[in-house]
Amino acid sequence: MKKLVGGFLVGVIFTMVLALFMMPSLMFKEHVSPFGFEETVARIQHNIQKNPNGWSLSGLRDPGKAVQNDGGNVLPVMMIEACSTKYSAPILKTDDRRYLSILMPCKVSVYKKNDGKVYIGTMNAGLMGKMFGPLVGEIMGHVAADQKTFLEFDPNTPAPQIILPKAPSGGGAGGGAGGGC
Amino acid sequence: MLVKRLQYLALMLGIVLAVPVVQASSDPAAEMKPAAAVPAPAKEIRSTADHGKFKELQKDFKSGPEVTQACLTCHTEAAKQIMKTKHWTWEFLNPESKQRLGKKNVINNFCTAVPSNYEFCTACHVGYGWKDSSFDFNKQENVDCLVCHDTTKTYRKLPGMAGHPPYQDTEFPPKSGKIVPAVNLKDVAQNIGKTSRATCGACHFNGGGGDAVKHGDLDSSLKDPKKYLDVHMAKDGLNFTCGTCHETDGHNIPGSRYTPIAKPKDANPHIRGKNDSDPVTCQSCHGNKPHPQALSRLNSHTDKLACQTCHIPEYARGGKPTKTLWDWSTAGKLDKDGKPFKTKDSGGHDAYDSRKGDFKYEANVIPEYIWFNGKVNYTLRETKLDPNQVIKVNSFEGSADDGKSKIWPVKVFHGKQPYDIGNNQLVVFHTYGKDDSALWSNFNWDKAIDYGMKEIGAEYSGKYAFVSTEMSWPITHMVAPKKDALACAQCHAPQTGVGRLDKVPGIYMPGRRANEWLNTAGWGLALLTLLGVLGHGGLRIYLARKGDQK
Repeated sequence: MKKLVGGFLVGVIFTMVLALFMMPSLMFKEHVSPFGFEETVARIQHNIQKNPNGWSLSGLRDPGKAVQNDGGNVLPVMMIEACSTKYSAPILKTDDRRYLSILMPCKVSVYKKNDGKVYIGTMNAGLMGKMFGPLVGEIMGHVAADQKTFLEFDPNTPAPQIILPKAPSGGGAGGGAGGGC
Repeated sequence: MLVKRLQYLALMLGIVLAVPVVQASSDPAAEMKPAAAVPAPAKEIRSTADHGKFKELQKDFKSGPEVTQACLTCHTEAAKQIMKTKHWTWEFLNPESKQRLGKKNVINNFCTAVPSNYEFCTACHVGYGWKDSSFDFNKQENVDCLVCHDTTKTYRKLPGMAGHPPYQDTEFPPKSGKIVPAVNLKDVAQNIGKTSRATCGACHFNGGGGDAVKHGDLDSSLKDPKKYLDVHMAKDGLNFTCGTCHETDGHNIPGSRYTPIAKPKDANPHIRGKNDSDPVTCQSCHGNKPHPQALSRLNSHTDKLACQTCHIPEYARGGKPTKTLWDWSTAGKLDKDGKPFKTKDSGGHDAYDSRKGDFKYEANVIPEYIWFNGKVNYTLRETKLDPNQVIKVNSFEGSADDGKSKIWPVKVFHGKQPYDIGNNQLVVFHTYGKDDSALWSNFNWDKAIDYGMKEIGAEYSGKYAFVSTEMSWPITHMVAPKKDALACAQCHAPQTGVGRLDKVPGIYMPGRRANEWLNTAGWGLALLTLLGVLGHGGLRIYLARKGDQK
């Protein structure tokens, strides 16, 4: 009996340690962009607008601005925010799921690292959705599929222009523009 | 509790007192007051001389040289001093390499060459009237005092005017509909003062044909920089002007791209105003061991690393992307109506211009790092080149073991420019002019090169092609706050797997530069030891059990 309980506990601890190490890479995804910083942002924005599932850009934030205003430097980082009411509305209509509004709008982060490369960071919407029951799981599954299309680039098309928000988006605040949740 | 109540009372009192102030300031009647009724603030003059009161400066000047003549009545030696400097001659003879350099002689991979384009390029000459090779360098009134000493910020020299400012309202750029007003020479002359970030920056921020184009660490964001961008020049910091470090002596300005100081002598920080041969170096103020005792490990790096390597982690950080590529070979494309055109990149910067070719821009650029001992060799027009190689327009000498070098950050600018395939030499070509041979007018390379080469009296085979080139620029401005200097891990154990100094040859980098064979041998020994221990232990257990069974 002791051996059985001991084995079970060891199994639990092993799983927890594994989850601790695996969690970040499971919950978030990181890709290297084949383009420069500004071009990556612009291409993602235009892909979002092209998507047929009601997506619209709801902001473009530069968290680095706040650091600069505080007298510091960080490598460039931009957060593209997008939303589709097709997916947000069913969640927002359900009282016991409204707290998930904290995950809205959907964000794609573009940033440079010390190796000089440009990276794209996204949340693993599909996996995260599965944690919140079948309704959210299904919706987030669609979001994940759409998110994939945001990152499909055609290098043969000319570089589009960055779509700047209507209101200035400095200091990690504001930046709202166009549609949204 | 008492303290909190007092704070609350103070807050309420503050609000009550503030309301009338806010109301008063938003009084529409106050806004209606005509501007003329508000007396202009008295001009603060810190100098002992008010140039506005000088009799010589009361004239309605018709041209820049007239102003200079007036200046020289008091500043009798000024023009003679200027005439000895590179700002005037655009020429420099490197005493070591004997190469004749300076803007007049060098071909770079931006706008390439001055000869045959004088009228355009000399908007950045400290003189008036250099429109062709006959310019008189000995005529004192040709010196332009105002371009460096203007404080009104209204004095502007436009390309195409041979170093003169506009004396009448001028549309610039041509056909743009934008009007640059005629300069008020009398006003500028009466308000001269020390050089400023704006006066130096008028040319040095716009090198290579536009803001931020050439250097990467010099652009208009330094006119009014915040602390994050440059701790020395920040208005809320030390508020240095360019002249604080580039301390002049008889109009001679220290700091050279042709003979930079790569490894300043061991010196204690000097006192400003004391004669110092290297006032532009970091060491002239900070010394060679600038870090405090608690960070003394960093002082052991200063022998091999330039201060800039750690303290300027990226350049072009002020929101102005710098040009990183200029490909002249694609210039000359026209639209379907046969007209030149431009395209923009994602950030709104020129990506293509029919007159100039393809460009690339980048902001927050991570520098490249090289060994540098202060010697720079140029590929001059007469230098024979191998077109199968990337031509280094300038190459920086240096190595890990010459005892004179330090690791420096540089901007490497990539270009493609024409060369003479008959003579394997770079060519001078005619870009700007009202004639039929200028590339920007007729998009004909043959004519443009032929004209340019004739201008300098050089032989041209009549056939050209394009060659890839590189040019390096040491990074030395835009010093970040110390908390943003490179951290140890960015070179020694980088999280991205790519260390800043990985490509620098001749150094052992703890945490990075492992010897693969030594590593394999070490791990092999460790594995063998483990196997030995396990084998020995296993054998002992096995034999012990076997003994028990007997």
